[in-house]
Amino acid sequence: MTLRLLASASTAALITAALVTISASAQGQNLPRDLFTTDNIRNDRDLWTDPAYFRNNTTRQIRGQAFNFDSGGEGTGQLAGSRAYGTDGNATTGPVDDLLRSPYPYATAIEHYESWLSEADGGTQHTKDTIPDWSGRWLGDVGLNAGNRSPADIVQLIQPDYRIAYVLNLQAETQARLWDANTFCLPPGFFDALGPNEWIPTPGRTWTHGEGNTENTIRWIYTDGSGHIPEQFQYPKWLGASIGFWDGDALIIHTNQVKGWHGGLYEYSDQLEAVERYRKVGDVIEAEITVYDPEVYTRPLHATGSFELDPETRVELNRMLYNSCTDTNGPSMKVHLDERGLNNERLPGEALYWDAADSRPWLTYLEEGERRYNAYLAAGGTPAHALNSDPTGQSMTDRTGE
Amino acid sequence: MFASITAAISLGIAAPALSHHSHAMFDHTAEETITGTVADFAYRNPHVFLYVDVEGENDETLNYWIEMSNIPIMIRRGIGAGTFKTGDEVTVNFWPLKDGRAGGNYTTIIAADGTEYD
Repeated sequence: MTLRLLASASTAALITAALVTISASAQGQNLPRDLFTTDNIRNDRDLWTDPAYFRNNTTRQIRGQAFNFDSGGEGTGQLAGSRAYGTDGNATTGPVDDLLRSPYPYATAIEHYESWLSEADGGTQHTKDTIPDWSGRWLGDVGLNAGNRSPADIVQLIQPDYRIAYVLNLQAETQARLWDANTFCLPPGFFDALGPNEWIPTPGRTWTHGEGNTENTIRWIYTDGSGHIPEQFQYPKWLGASIGFWDGDALIIHTNQVKGWHGGLYEYSDQLEAVERYRKVGDVIEAEITVYDPEVYTRPLHATGSFELDPETRVELNRMLYNSCTDTNGPSMKVHLDERGLNNERLPGEALYWDAADSRPWLTYLEEGERRYNAYLAAGGTPAHALNSDPTGQSMTDRTGE
Repeated sequence: MFASITAAISLGIAAPALSHHSHAMFDHTAEETITGTVADFAYRNPHVFLYVDVEGENDETLNYWIEMSNIPIMIRRGIGAGTFKTGDEVTVNFWPLKDGRAGGNYTTIIAADGTEYD
């Protein structure tokens, strides 16, 4: 199995060598319109595969243009990536066939998983004495990210019907009105769970815990050989459902039943399934993932990653954080789409603002409900207990017309 | 291990984003400064908020809404739940909201004891 990772890394090195940074002469080549000048990107489908349409920017460089301020790379976080609106970038481009390409011959995730299970002779049956010890707090992730590749390359990995959302988002990012689950305190979805901070292997089950960006993530990986639950009881879940097996000291995971959501290249569907492989080597957990979602992606996608032990020793920072948007007692983040179509913040006293410091929101709810209800009654409203059409509860209305 | 990390870098595998949302609603070209008293300090995820009352013209009090980062980042910068207390005088440097309302994203705060926090 180690050879698999090394082969994957070697392939990636070859891919890197084949990439070229778009030359200055190619930048600004004349197109009839681009992302910054178009009246309607829907009319530009033929241009979406041309790096010049995006002024040769990477996705990160495009996002940075929401600030319309060039930090020159100074500062941290978003500030370090801020750029002036409409400026040219230095994305790389290359053969799309090599981008995030899976090195494996499988057409489906379950074929992939079962092939590896067969190669491992049904998997290693660990006991409490032999199960790998992956204790500690880990930092890292494994997820789909095309780095500095041009969006013109990335868009070709997306099925035609789904490309519009990808390109609309790029345009929205330059205009400071992007959509992101974290922004609105919505569930972050499957890909956010691919950066867990804790791994808890036991002979029949492994748990992963992650702090997530807006809420904690937990995955249960059943390695007891019982497989997935019967198909008739399966349904999409935020983080899917996972089974796995051990191949020596490597953990292999198959995940299905994923709820389609936001993440990956931009979005994914309920059809997404994944095969992951993790192996601890020294103080590093090496990781790889192959994602199958024929509804959204044009072919299986593959990426590698790694996790390293967190060197933090301060107890206030090296323990797991219970991370949740619900810490704020509100239904969502204060960020919202304002009347201009831009992401904006609600301030105290404004409509729909909620008090982050309200430690007893239930009392607020009850008192506000009391105020509204009394006003409703004073205006001649019908009391709640009289709203039933039949106080005995015995009548039945036949709405079938039969 | 080296090969694996190299592969990750070449493919652009990124660490999870720490930022909760875009800060594009703030004007990063025009830092402002206010001095006032702390009206409230909400030490909570996903973002910490500091509310500062500032004396304005005609004896009006303007309540500024100052957005900070998440609690883990606050801890790393030495900011705890007791760092700012109601009634403390503080000086806040911040990037203001682009639409002119009284609020913004902090850059540095000078606490009542003179300690400067970033």
